[in-house]
Amino acid sequence: MKAVFIVFNQANTERIEYLLDELKINGFTFFEQVQGRGTNGGEPRRGTHVWPEMNSAVITVVDDDAVDNLLRTVRKLDRRNLDVGVRAFVWNIEQTI
Amino acid sequence: MSIYKTAINKPITTLLIFVAVIVLGVFSLSRLPIDQFPEMEVPYVAVMTTYAGANGSEIETNVTKLLENALNSIDGLKEISSTSKDNVSLINLELEWEANIDESVNDLRSAIDMVYDNLPEGCSRPLIFKFNTAMMPIIQYAITAKESYPGLKKLLEENVINVLNRVEGIGNLSLSGAPERYVYIDLDQNKLDAYNLSVESVGQSVTGNNLNLASGTVKMGKEQYQLRVQGEFVESAEINNIVVSTDATGKQVFLRDIALVRDTIKDLSLDEKVNGADGVRLVVMKQTGANTVQVASQVRKMVEEIQPTLPPDVQFDVIYDSSDNIQNSINGLQETILYALLFVVLVVLLFLGKWRSTIIVAISIPISLVSSFIYLYFVDSSLNIISMSALTLAIGMVVDDAIVVLENINKHIERGSRPREAAIYGTNEVWVSIIASTLVIVAVFLPLTMLGGQMGIMFKELGWIVTITIGVSAMVAISITPMLSSKLLKTKPIRVNADGQLEESSSRRSWYENSVGKWLDKLDAWYASILRYSLTHKKIMITGVVVVFIASLVPVIMGKIGMDFMPEQDNGRLSINIELQRGTRVEESMRIARQLELKVAQIAPEVELISTTTGTNDDSGISALFTSSSNNKIAMTVRTSAKQKRERSIFVIAEEIRKYFDKVPEIINYQVSTAGGFGGGGSSTVDVEIYGYDFNTTNAFAEDLKQRLKDIDGARNITVSREEDRAELQINFDKEKLALHGLSEAVAGAYVRNRINGMVAGFLREDGEEYNIVARLKEEYRNSISDIENMTLMTPVGSKIKLKELGTVQEYWGPPNIEHKRRQRIVTVQVTPVGVSLGDMATTIRAEFAKMEIPQGILLNVGGSYEDMQESTSDLFSLLILILLLVYIVMASQFESFMKPLLLMSSVPFAFSGVILALFITGINLDMIGMLGAVLLVGIVVKNGIVLVDYINLMRDRGYELNEAIALSGQSRLRPVLMTSLTTLLGMVPMALSTAEGSEMWQPLGVVVIGGLLFSTVITLVIVPVLYAIVSRHGERDKIQKQRKEYIFMQLADEDIHTKN
Repeated sequence: MKAVFIVFNQANTERIEYLLDELKINGFTFFEQVQGRGTNGGEPRRGTHVWPEMNSAVITVVDDDAVDNLLRTVRKLDRRNLDVGVRAFVWNIEQTI
Repeated sequence: MSIYKTAINKPITTLLIFVAVIVLGVFSLSRLPIDQFPEMEVPYVAVMTTYAGANGSEIETNVTKLLENALNSIDGLKEISSTSKDNVSLINLELEWEANIDESVNDLRSAIDMVYDNLPEGCSRPLIFKFNTAMMPIIQYAITAKESYPGLKKLLEENVINVLNRVEGIGNLSLSGAPERYVYIDLDQNKLDAYNLSVESVGQSVTGNNLNLASGTVKMGKEQYQLRVQGEFVESAEINNIVVSTDATGKQVFLRDIALVRDTIKDLSLDEKVNGADGVRLVVMKQTGANTVQVASQVRKMVEEIQPTLPPDVQFDVIYDSSDNIQNSINGLQETILYALLFVVLVVLLFLGKWRSTIIVAISIPISLVSSFIYLYFVDSSLNIISMSALTLAIGMVVDDAIVVLENINKHIERGSRPREAAIYGTNEVWVSIIASTLVIVAVFLPLTMLGGQMGIMFKELGWIVTITIGVSAMVAISITPMLSSKLLKTKPIRVNADGQLEESSSRRSWYENSVGKWLDKLDAWYASILRYSLTHKKIMITGVVVVFIASLVPVIMGKIGMDFMPEQDNGRLSINIELQRGTRVEESMRIARQLELKVAQIAPEVELISTTTGTNDDSGISALFTSSSNNKIAMTVRTSAKQKRERSIFVIAEEIRKYFDKVPEIINYQVSTAGGFGGGGSSTVDVEIYGYDFNTTNAFAEDLKQRLKDIDGARNITVSREEDRAELQINFDKEKLALHGLSEAVAGAYVRNRINGMVAGFLREDGEEYNIVARLKEEYRNSISDIENMTLMTPVGSKIKLKELGTVQEYWGPPNIEHKRRQRIVTVQVTPVGVSLGDMATTIRAEFAKMEIPQGILLNVGGSYEDMQESTSDLFSLLILILLLVYIVMASQFESFMKPLLLMSSVPFAFSGVILALFITGINLDMIGMLGAVLLVGIVVKNGIVLVDYINLMRDRGYELNEAIALSGQSRLRPVLMTSLTTLLGMVPMALSTAEGSEMWQPLGVVVIGGLLFSTVITLVIVPVLYAIVSRHGERDKIQKQRKEYIFMQLADEDIHTKN
């Protein structure tokens, strides 16, 4: 089991939902309002007057073999419009109930 | 932070805020006076001008017309009408109800000033009368006496009126028909002639011998005295001994030789009898702004205290007490409110099955209702029929919001939430729809406050009260209801059983769950199955419902639903006006009156009191201008026992009396009207206004119409406004002959007056009161034309001359009073429909016009209450459209959809079907109040559907398939929908069934709302979901699919050499 943390510009919200639906990934936890900025030139998303945009984030826990496909699809979404932006990070799940 | 979260986190603050509201409300309630209607200023102003010596038509052209033209441009003038009669022009102005009367009166004054110079010389300055409620009597007493009758006036003035004047807020107190003491000197014409005397010389000698005069001071030694001539009569017998003259032989002529001195009560011209006994009428009025009920109860208390101090034969009977009516109406409404409260609580208990929940819901009733008292207190209003009806109307609706919230919280608790969280989530889920449904009600009731005219004044309060109570109830529902739920409701009990497993304690344990609960569950399931069936048979359902709707219109098409303006009230009072043959002398009229009294009492054993006035008061004051009375007229006020104590209604009794009067040959014309009091409850009449200049044509037409109307079913009290010509005697002096004898018309006229009407020859002073001494000819010398001709007048040189030598006495017909309306001559034929609705009567009369030949120059108009009704109907119709628009706007924004509101509003036509059926079944005519109810239904029926549609939307958003979403929502929302409908419905039941005094006023409102709501609830429960299914084919879910189809990023290859797609 892997946890995939996807953080994305809010403009991508519906697409992320669609993406998860398409990949038959049912469970997720959604953070509606998150702030942040990118390491490689990603614009800050702070919800301020200067940087008005905001990000949202999703953590979804999936089977190990589903991770690749998910990341590939996220990559496709990113490529659709690089300025809007989406990133995904994967880490291990140690235990679960 | 949202209101409900704050409320739940700060329960004490929340509680205390509402405690404060209740305290303020109860305080206001204790200060609220009781009244019949909201305070309104009656917008009538009269302008009276006298022009002595001019007859009706002269007055019309020289005074009335000029003034009418000037006054016609007053701001806010609605209608102008006038009466021109001998010597007097009276113009009545009806202003718009919302006009500022003081301002209009000012305008009036300047308009009069402008034309004053053009009025004929000798014309008085026009007087302006402002009508106000202080002119309406609040109590009338009939006071009868036997031995004390001759002195009754003095007795009452000293012992009753003086005392009653001390009551706070009391206005004018007047005695009508009180015997007045007069000293008459009846002179013998022949003896006057023999002694060479005239009425004037006798009068002068009486005056000359009745005098106290200060004659200076006299000094005597050390003393100084005032000197007085003390010659005033101490008693009337002294008058006999006055020496009037000394004849040629030096013999003294005493008054007793030529006249009879009578110390008696004034000769009859107005006769008051109470139950056939001698009596007077005490009319009590209040000051403007004083409270009727308070003043009346004070007066009654005072009278009770005074009565033992009066001689035992003096009896007080209440003819009319307007506070009785008010008190009874208010009591009736209070009862209605209490029953409504009981019903509403029972419904809630039945559906929820839990005491705690019921209490939480019920607590919103007192809080919301009490808040309206605060409003009433701050706008200086009162507990009246309108405000109390508004409360009854609101009572079923104020629980709705709390029900919806509580029901939802309960559902969350059932699912295992703790009460605190359940209260937060539960409220969160529904608060928007609560605000929306509250806004819908506000959208319906707030426009009422913008209505114009009399309706506007009446219903303004209704609009505000319902708006405020509903607003407060919404506040309660999202603050105190969740707060109390979080504190009072309990988590579903669960326990651990012996195996260490969780076990739900059975929810099917209580008897409620086993009986009512089971039935309700079955009902839910049954409804869901009906929904599923209808969703698959949409066409059948729609056709069926449309057929039902069309079928319900049948009674209207067949004309079975009558239209009325205001309901007639049975307040146990009849007023009867009888006209006998013209010229009937008052004594004869009295004799007939006694006969009729006996017969009326026989026909109607329910009668408790008959107070009769016959004839007219010849010293007519201002009040006589507004009432027409003359010797041949009899006016009776009949009071019957209380409404609950008799079997026959006042309308039946009136019919019986009418039947009898039809058979009495002496009666030329009569009216038996069941109306009484001011404001509502007056007889509704259809007035045919005949405009036309020529008297003969209009008279003939009016007479023709009257005869035709007599044959129409249900036409009663038909009266023609233009009085028939009066028989008069006219003296035409020959001016040459007058001049020859050194007389002028004025002097001769005064002489005639002194002989017939009498010459006031000073006063008899006794105990500080003055009584008139009147010298005139004995009756036998002034009761025929030849007597008048043989009257002797004294010329300035002292020679005697008979009147017939100076002119002729002729019998002739006096010209009628000339009435104007909208500045044109008019004759009105008035009809009171009995057993027939106002609208039908007007239609029948119109049909009658078609059969008649309408002469040229005549213009017809059907007016009266019928006109008011039409005006109000069109007002209500525009109100309906306004309300429909507002409701649509509120709902469209609630659902964010143009279509959904239309779904809900599809229930409105069925509400009207229900109204029609309810009226058809009960046989009640649709009046203004009922129509208002029908308009209000728009909001009430739509509101109940909101919860359902809102939930279907929710289920659809949760991804349920359309039909399934609808069926599930139906099953889940049936109870709240039924509950809110039932509470509103049962809240109105006591109103519809009430038989209290004055209930005729609000009963139609109850019937209409119940009928409409019942019918529309049943139909909407089916039709709204079906229509939802029809229009939702391309609903929200499809939209999402469509949107998703536009996403193309999934089709991208895994990696690309380019950076962008």
